[in-house]
Amino acid sequence: MKRMLVLLLILCLACPYAMAAGVESGLMRVAVKTDITTMDVARTSDDYMIPMNVFDRLFETRLVDGVPTVVRSLCTDYTVSADGLVYDFTIRDGVVFSNGSPLTASDVQYSFERLLKINRMNTEIAEEVAGSEQVKSGEADTLSGFSVKDDTHFSVTLSAANAGFPAELSAPAMSIVDRETMTEGFGTVPAETVGSGPYTVTEWQANDHYTLVFNEKYWGDAPTVKKLVVSVVPDVNVQNMQFLSGELDLIDLTNQDASIVDAMYKQNPDLASRIVSTRKVGMFFFVLNNAQGALRDAKVRRAIAMAIDVDDIISSLYMGDAVRETGAIPSGVWGHSEQLQPVPFDPEGAKALLKEAGYGEGQIALEIAVDSASSGTIQNVCQSIRSRLRAVGISAEIKNYEHAVWLEKRSSGEMESFVARWGMDYNDPANILYTFFGTAEKTRQRSINYQNADVLSRVANARSIVDDDARLKEYQSLEEKIIGEDMAWVPLLQDMHLYCRGERVESFTPQWAGFSDFYATDVVLK
Amino acid sequence: MRMNRQRELADQHLRRLEDGEGMVNSFRADFFRMFRANRLAAFSLLLILLMILGAALAPVLTPYAYDDMDLQRRLSPPSAEHLLGTDEGGRDILTRLLYGARVSLMIGVVPTVLSILIGALLGMLAGWYGGITDTVIMRLADIVLAFPSMLLAMLMMFALGDGIINVVLTLAMMNWASVARIVRAETLRLKNAEYIDAARTIGVSGPVMLLRHILPNCLPTLIVLFTLNVPTAILTESSLSFLGLGIQAPDASWGLMVNAGKNFLFNAPWLSVIPGLTIMVAVLAFNFLGDGLRDALDPHLKDR
Amino acid sequence: MKMKLLSRLGQSVIALLGVALLLFVMLRVIPGNPVAVLMGEHGDDAVIARMTEELGLDQPILTQFFRYIGDCLRGNFGTSYSLGKPVLQLMGDAFVNTLQLSLAAAVFAWVLGIVSGVIAAVRKNGILDHLFMGISLVGVSIPVFMTAVLLQYFIAFRLHWLPISGMAGWQSLILPAVALGWNSAGSVARLVRSTLLDILQEDYIDTARAKGRRQMGVLVFHALRNAMLPVVTMMALQFSSLLSGAVITETVFSINGIGRLAVQAISGRDVPLLQGTVLFATALVILGNLAADMLYSVLDPRIRKGG
Repeated sequence: MKRMLVLLLILCLACPYAMAAGVESGLMRVAVKTDITTMDVARTSDDYMIPMNVFDRLFETRLVDGVPTVVRSLCTDYTVSADGLVYDFTIRDGVVFSNGSPLTASDVQYSFERLLKINRMNTEIAEEVAGSEQVKSGEADTLSGFSVKDDTHFSVTLSAANAGFPAELSAPAMSIVDRETMTEGFGTVPAETVGSGPYTVTEWQANDHYTLVFNEKYWGDAPTVKKLVVSVVPDVNVQNMQFLSGELDLIDLTNQDASIVDAMYKQNPDLASRIVSTRKVGMFFFVLNNAQGALRDAKVRRAIAMAIDVDDIISSLYMGDAVRETGAIPSGVWGHSEQLQPVPFDPEGAKALLKEAGYGEGQIALEIAVDSASSGTIQNVCQSIRSRLRAVGISAEIKNYEHAVWLEKRSSGEMESFVARWGMDYNDPANILYTFFGTAEKTRQRSINYQNADVLSRVANARSIVDDDARLKEYQSLEEKIIGEDMAWVPLLQDMHLYCRGERVESFTPQWAGFSDFYATDVVLK
Repeated sequence: MRMNRQRELADQHLRRLEDGEGMVNSFRADFFRMFRANRLAAFSLLLILLMILGAALAPVLTPYAYDDMDLQRRLSPPSAEHLLGTDEGGRDILTRLLYGARVSLMIGVVPTVLSILIGALLGMLAGWYGGITDTVIMRLADIVLAFPSMLLAMLMMFALGDGIINVVLTLAMMNWASVARIVRAETLRLKNAEYIDAARTIGVSGPVMLLRHILPNCLPTLIVLFTLNVPTAILTESSLSFLGLGIQAPDASWGLMVNAGKNFLFNAPWLSVIPGLTIMVAVLAFNFLGDGLRDALDPHLKDR
Repeated sequence: MKMKLLSRLGQSVIALLGVALLLFVMLRVIPGNPVAVLMGEHGDDAVIARMTEELGLDQPILTQFFRYIGDCLRGNFGTSYSLGKPVLQLMGDAFVNTLQLSLAAAVFAWVLGIVSGVIAAVRKNGILDHLFMGISLVGVSIPVFMTAVLLQYFIAFRLHWLPISGMAGWQSLILPAVALGWNSAGSVARLVRSTLLDILQEDYIDTARAKGRRQMGVLVFHALRNAMLPVVTMMALQFSSLLSGAVITETVFSINGIGRLAVQAISGRDVPLLQGTVLFATALVILGNLAADMLYSVLDPRIRKGG
């Protein structure tokens, strides 16, 4: 009896797991660390996989020869008035949603208004349309700045000129939804989450996986990926094992320690040839609270910049997969320039500058607040900064905060110093400069507390300079002032987003800004 | 006749307690008998002492600091300079192991002592006084025991936030209930023992009775519980760290080291294997010691 | 006896309510607004304030508590912040997985534990006894996550014998069940051994052994039947530790179960989900304990007679 049992047990254990011999053609399998919260772009600013693949926008930003370019999608033509306030759009005729309902100009209007009425996230772009305040507050039901001429023509009046409006319309936030068939279950029930994009959601098992299937009614070219299964695998180590065993067709190597990527992928010639690398358009910076203690002094802030060895961080913690940032407009963004030289690593100079500012050894205490939810690499960056600062006589200490507490402390404007990252949502310097330096309130909420009110109002006004060259010039001069002169934050780096293609994937083009979310149409299966 | 016999017993017991001799002596005898009989337990004790020594002498034993980063030497394999290699931040693993022993052993011992103190006190009160005291204490214990322990620990860490002190509090809160149950049962058993009856007849008051008669008699049980709960505490801390809810870098604990290293299993297995083995050895040592002590001191706990 | 069960039932309900209150207070006093986490990088103070109000998080704690208990009794556990779905639905899906995993782990633990416990008892002080008891102690001393990670790495990844993660088919259940059941197997083995030894005095065994294999088998069978009482009780009580272990195993093997849901709830600061999962798990443990009590009274003739 017991022998039988033991035998049975051994048999069970030794039974070789039948590997799926052939994978269904057109199937693509990827893994993510955490599940999406919702499929509705009005309720998330993180989970764009469904908005990007199931919905269409008027424009898309795509990498064309490596350059982020705004291309037309639902919009086939548009004109701008001379003052930059009025846009006339023509949209594609005959487009239908996956449930057969036609996509018309009134759906576009509805999509804008819906964002404002839900008023939770991603309202910024719709807010630029005249009359948005009234819709937001409930005074008006429709946008006064939006006028529909017929099913395929409409015009939008902005409350302030914005030359970057088409680029902004390519943000996932501006996905077009169907007015006629909108239901309660939109965003949570797959069958009711209807878009006009290349895929439809067929199932979403929370915390486990969701499945996208090619939308036969899609107006564009048919992609090679006919079915996409996104499973939730929280442990990147497990993702690695799955990828190496052929259970995943594409692996996102971001959030993995660079040394693992190096040892497992780059040192393996076969895998190395399949690595796809793109910019993560955005940047890391070390924020110094401009309103607290010694940090109020720009000299101290500059000395801190001199004490940090960014190149060492890039070569060791990122194994070279990062570029150094020097300002406030990240590399790869329209308007980025090389005008600012990197601050050289100079501990002696830093000490001298601190002395000049009136601070001796150990007289400055600095708390570096670390979000305990941040990646191991970022925690190591913070520790490296701590060691470097201690070397020049600043008593830097790391303090870990639980994610929610960290956020709350930062929004209170009281956080002393921390490493933060901003990723670009659309290709315009306003996206970063206005977010951090647009108003006194904005800079306080980010715990920067940038003090120069004049500069703050210049940042806010720059958005309405219609002439591209003039606007660019203003942004660059602002960057020179805020970072070059005032060192409001210490620019650190922009890391690269690495993926590795599986054997079944012929080619893959990541999203232009290097989001983890990607267009499944940009994957070509063998 | 019976009365006399009780008196005699009580007197004997009181005298023994008065000078503390008998208790300690018999205890010591038990202790040594155990080690003679059980080499494994003796060896385990030695191992534990060595670990404590290593933790205490960490600054002398290693030239590095536990949070010294050296980015140029990340993940270097064991070498003469770094006997056990370095971790993902270029920190010396041996150094972190030694300093981590401070935290991990502390986390094994302090919350366990706390939980035993709380549990013993509440258990004795519940067992001795009965009635409403008993009901309130035991219902509280029920509540704590109703939580799956890991979930309670996660919840408490979540509510309190990271940090060593919070881990200690969490683990203490988790374990007192089971101690209280055992001590209560023990108190109930002793309450009816002859010599306690006798002591009661000569008018010894409640608190005195608890402290001088019940507690010393529970001591062997408590010591065994202590050695058996220390490894549980160490394991729980490592599980919490594994889930990212325990101690945070740059502090070092064995659990944290295993967790930080688990992503490097492919290219630098020593990162998590070494602290993992250390946890196992420490836990094993405490378990062997606890087993030995139980056999020697408290045979009726054997089924537990 | 009926009275006793009823009073145990009453105690369980009180414990459950106590857990709910404790949980509720704990989750309300923690610093940091969950809504702010929900909003992430793009949080806007005005919107956060409005949503806090919408979710009723600005109400006094007691009001919130009674509202929550009322909702729970009506079967409404709220909507998860981080997964955007009703908590009850999420728990339902997850529970099926956790139940499968726990049952598989329990079966593994009991089969392995009873078999090795019996062998160890019969061969008391023999090589097998020392070997099994040594292994069981080592088993109890390894952190669950190490067993899980090592099994996953060697058996699934290196040898390709079983799936690496996920929950598809019975094969994917084996590794997590082994990892989860390993610790319990150790304790079951030790319990079976000591109980058997208590029942079978050594000379009985010697006599039986002298009389031959068949006699021995009969003896062990009889003894085992009597030894089942503590073992069965322990099985029900083990539920709590299985659920605890499931938190880790489900995380390592990416199984969408109650344990991982709780982990997810914590990392997403998802109060309704955390409340729901912990309350649910606690109710399971309390049920397990009740079941243990009942089993005990059914199985133990003394209690049954004594009523």
